[in-house]
Amino acid sequence: MANIDIGSILKSVEDQSKALAEKLFKQYTHRAVSDVRDFLERSKDNLKRWLEDLARGDIGNDEFESLVKGQADVAEMRALKQAGLAAVQIDTFINGVLDIVVSAAFAAIP
Amino acid sequence: MNKIRSRNLIAISASLFLTGCTLIARYDQVAYEHATSAKVDTLALISKATASYDDHEKEVEALVRQLDKAYEYDRGRQLNKLTVAQWDILRDPNRDLVGGFLKMWKAKGSLSATFIAEKKKQIADAFDQIIQLESGKPKPAKAKE
Repeated sequence: MANIDIGSILKSVEDQSKALAEKLFKQYTHRAVSDVRDFLERSKDNLKRWLEDLARGDIGNDEFESLVKGQADVAEMRALKQAGLAAVQIDTFINGVLDIVVSAAFAAIP
Repeated sequence: MNKIRSRNLIAISASLFLTGCTLIARYDQVAYEHATSAKVDTLALISKATASYDDHEKEVEALVRQLDKAYEYDRGRQLNKLTVAQWDILRDPNRDLVGGFLKMWKAKGSLSATFIAEKKKQIADAFDQIIQLESGKPKPAKAKE
């Protein structure tokens, strides 16, 4: 029976997995936060413009209400998109960890 | 001999583990084209809503069918619940995106140009959420294409 240093394999897997997680989730978090910030900025501008349109009589009450509710609908769709993109990152992470485990295991076989 | 057996075992275990660990559908070119094409056609029709709904009823029906087809295609894909939920919001006549807009147009007969211009931007943004999620999904491996 060949000597395999399990402790060393696990340490290597842990270190590489940590580095992978930091890289993947840092990039994802940055993009998600930027997406939300951008949406909030635009929503604020939109609301201001719609209130002016309403005050001028360019849109009716029902149209104003539809625009505000529609913005909430878009926010929900955006949240679903972010949930999906987070799932993609988790898939990528799992596959990456698997590659790391397999490589570390192969490397340990004398 | 033992070394080869060990490597095979690792590879087989890895493949089995991998197949059970996918959380979301793979990118689908047809679904992507359905969404982009529906976006263009929806925005084109919305632009006509200053005119009478009755004059455009056939086009509305055709658009609703197009959206239904895109929805049904996505509904038939595995691990695709988030995209289906997005289509649900977009198409629902009791909410305030495409479904709600068409319902409002029908009820009021015609809509104001200012409202249409704003709604177009909002609905374009809504479609972009579906398109961006689809294009962000993992691309299938070349061997599977």
